[in-house]
Amino acid sequence: MNLEEKILGIMREVFDTTDVNEQTSQRNCENWDSLRHLSLASELEEAFDIELEPEEIGQMTDFSRVVETVRAKQ
Amino acid sequence: MTTFVFRNQTVEPFLGYDGMTYSGYDDISQTPTSVDRYIWFYQVPVNPDACQLAREIDSYSDKLDLVLSGITQDRPFVVFSLVNLFPLKFTGKDNQVAEAITGFNQHIARLAMERPNVKWVDFSGFTGRYAADALVDWKYYLMSQTLLNPKLAKPFHDWWSGIERELMMQRKKCLVLDLDNTLWGGVLGEDGIDGIQLGGDYPGKAFTYWQRSLLQLAHNGVILAVCSKNNEADVDEAWRVNPHMVLKREHFSALRINWQDKATNIRQLADELNIGLDSMVFLDDNPAERELVRQMLPQVEVPDFPEKPYLLIPFFKQLVEKYFMAYDVTDEDRSKTEQYRANALRRAEQARFIDLDSYLYSLDISLDILPADEHNLPRIAQMTQKTNQFNLTTRRYTESDVRHRLDQGWRVYCMRVSDRFGDSGITAAIFLQPVGDDAVNIDNLLLSCRILGKGIEEAFVKTVLNLMRLDGVKKVMADYLPTAKNGQTADFYDRMGLTCVRVGDDGARHYELDLTSVYEIKNCYNIRVL
Repeated sequence: MNLEEKILGIMREVFDTTDVNEQTSQRNCENWDSLRHLSLASELEEAFDIELEPEEIGQMTDFSRVVETVRAKQ
Repeated sequence: MTTFVFRNQTVEPFLGYDGMTYSGYDDISQTPTSVDRYIWFYQVPVNPDACQLAREIDSYSDKLDLVLSGITQDRPFVVFSLVNLFPLKFTGKDNQVAEAITGFNQHIARLAMERPNVKWVDFSGFTGRYAADALVDWKYYLMSQTLLNPKLAKPFHDWWSGIERELMMQRKKCLVLDLDNTLWGGVLGEDGIDGIQLGGDYPGKAFTYWQRSLLQLAHNGVILAVCSKNNEADVDEAWRVNPHMVLKREHFSALRINWQDKATNIRQLADELNIGLDSMVFLDDNPAERELVRQMLPQVEVPDFPEKPYLLIPFFKQLVEKYFMAYDVTDEDRSKTEQYRANALRRAEQARFIDLDSYLYSLDISLDILPADEHNLPRIAQMTQKTNQFNLTTRRYTESDVRHRLDQGWRVYCMRVSDRFGDSGITAAIFLQPVGDDAVNIDNLLLSCRILGKGIEEAFVKTVLNLMRLDGVKKVMADYLPTAKNGQTADFYDRMGLTCVRVGDDGARHYELDLTSVYEIKNCYNIRVL
């Protein structure tokens, strides 16, 4: 499984919906609220064994930025 | 089920979103009344001012009392104990925060004793598994007031679902055990009675602890059964002769020691014990056997078995926590092994009689019918939670639900059953809801499976209906609501002579009966109405 697919899987689980794809962002995904955003961050930290800084967590507002952030950490 | 959570921190990642509503942080001004239950999950705040912090913690008890005073006692209320995730002290003697926490925890333990709807959860049962620095991620605390590390959400879910199961009493009833390399080390057929590993030094010592642990499980109401590929005579001899055996034949309620496949054996055990496959847990050291049972009987829980004997000690703890923990164990639970064994004896007896009535007569069955009171109420509530097969409407009630109904004028009776083989305890209940002046609705009727097959259900209902008639009741209504498990009761009310007046699309059957004549009851029972 590549990085993108793994992240999509995590997002589906955290946002509790199958309706997640490369275009998903905080604006078009109802369940992507501020609390689940933090759950997403902690799940990513766990899954990729990385530590995200608060600033990085703050900028992950859509799928491509999530991928970007995680990739930069690896 | 809908739940309202009182909290002073962000706990959504842990308790979830489905059906959950959360208070504001440390906000008790709003208490919705239309929810099914409440949770109080406060955490010790982070505050460098110990004096202020201790005062704040003290205030939680008052706030909790205030909330509880505004809630009816029929609604479950679960309170988490407090654990200090970040103890900060300036002097070794400075105990005020710790004392405030202890004070709160003692307070909730007392509330749980005083109020039937309050139960408390030991939060340290979860936090105790982690090192202090793993419990908090300060980044999340400061970004979103989430003190408990959100990375622990998954293990928290597992722990919490175990606790919820415990609170709902959905624990498993029966543990089915393999013998060789499971109950003792080695293979009886190869190593011989004295060659198996049990007693003495390691590894025998590990199996001794394991057997002692399982014995305690039996004492706490879990039924033990054996399913092993062995020669029964060899096993019997080992049980008799090996001085290190803690668990012997009499501790098992049923045995399948043969060369038949284990799925078939377990299915037969379920029939013999009259319990569902979904209330069984199966242990076997052989992964192939485990896989077979998982494939053939997906309802049975089949945990992996530890590879090393020294791991049996923590394994036992996990086993208890995952499957066999109950919030409280009743006396009926404790003597269950005894009762199930007595049932097996009864079944052997049955084979010798030609007609059922002469057999029933020979059993010397006593039926004591009692109105619900403080002593039997926990058991009545427990039965509504656990009984599946002979349960006409499967309405689940907590103790406070039952109490609430009694307060509203319902009549609730239970029945204690005994015969010459033993006392089965309280094993039946009926809920009668008043309708108008002279009618009742049988809201629910249930019997424990272990007393079925003796016509007792019929005697119970007829006795209660005769009582109602004497009490001036002229009309009875009743429902059968089908579930996956209560098919055997679908025509019970027809058999009792009630008239089916309506069948719903979902298979629900509604009945009515004019109480005009006295019911005749077979004379094979000694019935007492107390």
